[in-house]
Amino acid sequence: MISSLKKLLASLLVLVIALAAGPAHAAYPSVADLLKKIDANMTYDTRESFITMRVTKADRVKEYKMHSYGRGQDEAAMEYLAPSRDEGTKMLKTATELWMWLPSVEKTQKISGHMLRQGMMGSDMSYEDMMDAAKWQSMYSGVVSAEETIDGRKCWKVDLTATATDVSYPKRTIWVDEAAYIPVKQQLFALSGTLLKTWTMTDIRTVGTRQFPFKMTVVDEVQTGSKTEIIFDKVTFAVPLEEEVFTTRWLER
Amino acid sequence: MRLLYALALRNARRNVRRSMLTATTIMLGVALLTCGMAWTRGAFGGILQKASNVMGPVRIVTPKFAQKEQLFPLAENMPEIEPILAIARATPGVVGAYPRIQMPVTITVGDDIGEHFALVQGAPNEWYDQALDLSHHIVEGRMFKDDTEAVVGMTAASDVGAKLGDELVLLGQTQDGSISPIKVKIAGISDLGSGAQNRFVYVSLGKMQWMADIEHGATEILVYGATLDDAQAIGEALKVNPGLKDLAIARWDERPPFSAIAGIIGALQSIAAGVIVFITALGVLNTMLMSVLERTAEIGVMRAMGLKRGATVALFVMEAMGIASIGGAVGAVVGGAIAYFVLEVHGVNLGNAVNKMPPGFAIDSVIHADWEPYMLVQSFALGLVMAIVGGALPAIRASRIQPVEAMRSRR
Repeated sequence: MISSLKKLLASLLVLVIALAAGPAHAAYPSVADLLKKIDANMTYDTRESFITMRVTKADRVKEYKMHSYGRGQDEAAMEYLAPSRDEGTKMLKTATELWMWLPSVEKTQKISGHMLRQGMMGSDMSYEDMMDAAKWQSMYSGVVSAEETIDGRKCWKVDLTATATDVSYPKRTIWVDEAAYIPVKQQLFALSGTLLKTWTMTDIRTVGTRQFPFKMTVVDEVQTGSKTEIIFDKVTFAVPLEEEVFTTRWLER
Repeated sequence: MRLLYALALRNARRNVRRSMLTATTIMLGVALLTCGMAWTRGAFGGILQKASNVMGPVRIVTPKFAQKEQLFPLAENMPEIEPILAIARATPGVVGAYPRIQMPVTITVGDDIGEHFALVQGAPNEWYDQALDLSHHIVEGRMFKDDTEAVVGMTAASDVGAKLGDELVLLGQTQDGSISPIKVKIAGISDLGSGAQNRFVYVSLGKMQWMADIEHGATEILVYGATLDDAQAIGEALKVNPGLKDLAIARWDERPPFSAIAGIIGALQSIAAGVIVFITALGVLNTMLMSVLERTAEIGVMRAMGLKRGATVALFVMEAMGIASIGGAVGAVVGGAIAYFVLEVHGVNLGNAVNKMPPGFAIDSVIHADWEPYMLVQSFALGLVMAIVGGALPAIRASRIQPVEAMRSRR
């Protein structure tokens, strides 16, 4: 008799827990769906943009102006317009290589190996960060772990783990704006679990059919006191680009 | 006393062969000491002088630069150096104060994309002349004349196959971490005698300030007195100057690696001298002990005739010192001659072993001794110490001989 009562109570408890937890989880979107919507906003067939990059280290602020081109996930090109000492410096990313044209010495330098993960022009964004346009769907999987509010925006908190081996950050925790599907905040981790960078995206505007953040801020969590702001002064998607832009000829043009 | 002196002299002359053996032992010990002192003084003096010239007898940097200097932290610079230079130059005893910037770079000649690493150094021409004496170490070409030229260490030049007149591309960084390339024409190739310094590229301060994007600044200010010994007073004066209170000021021997090495050098010199004195004293002890054993009966008679124990000790020590005076004098002269004519004039070639020394610890491949006349007196005095140390035990043994037993032994 007592045994039957215990079984009944246990069954009721399981039922209560299932009823309590079930509806909440059911409200979470799937990670695949979230990543697909993020990719729809952040990746492109072609893109042309004018960017201001402001690097703050301790009490020193350095500002760069850049003209950037992107095509698909693999190709990107960038030309520095300011400051004057860097004017004319160009970068080209192809599927497998990153090249840099240094006008003051009229020389093309290949950026390879560990240099790819160093701060681009001393910023908190690596060359890979700046020129990477790969789709997250193909690189990460994860779980939606909570619903939180970031800067007044309701967000899904998603813990991502890399499924590919050649990614810069094996783990990411991202907060995805529920309305815009933009990762308004990201924490980027090393494989060891060390927090490397915090990346925020703000000033979200509608560009054509997509939402796009016109300001990004990257804070280096290892090197304290360092911050990089990326401001998109102008962005155009689906723009026709010359074929030559993504060749080494363009670098030396 | 005169009697003791006469007896000691007679004893020394009694067995000339043994006395000669003792004198030769002392002579060798003193000669070795003289050469050792001259060579270590030359070797370490040369290292310290050269290193302190390169590193600056006294150096002014920011505290953060001092903490991270192995990483060449360009961001930790002094953006305005003129006020600091003015303070340094007005300090008593200072004969020169020079700004400097150093950074690691990759170097390339021609169209190749280089993976050859070097260190580039930018400083005023006066520093290159007075501290580094660079113009006298140029083996090909000449000193650079302006911002468009450079002098390249022969190892760096050899690494990239560079020759005079070639355009050398240096890829470094600005203080903000941006890639910063410069192109310079090779005006000269230098051989500063050390592998570390031969991996440097030397350019003007202006070129380096542009490369590091530190327009009016530098990462280091090196302060020089008339001699290395002035560093102490200059360092103390700069440290208490209120105009430099936010900066890190250190003498050469307060900075790594010399902060640790300076003490070790002194200890090693003392240990080496101690070993030579000990071994030589053993030789003296041996021959003097033989002398005591041979003269046991004679000592017994003298003790029976009233020679006191102290006088017996003095007799043998005087004998040892008499022999040591002759051996020591010859040893000092012979050692001095070898030290000067062989070790100082010709030097000792250490070959390629010095090429592995780190930057800032520059050593010439040929080490020259530095013989000074005072070493004659010092090594001669140490020769007498050898005689006292070696003669003391036999002398004490002689003083303990009981006259009756000694006379019975008939030796």
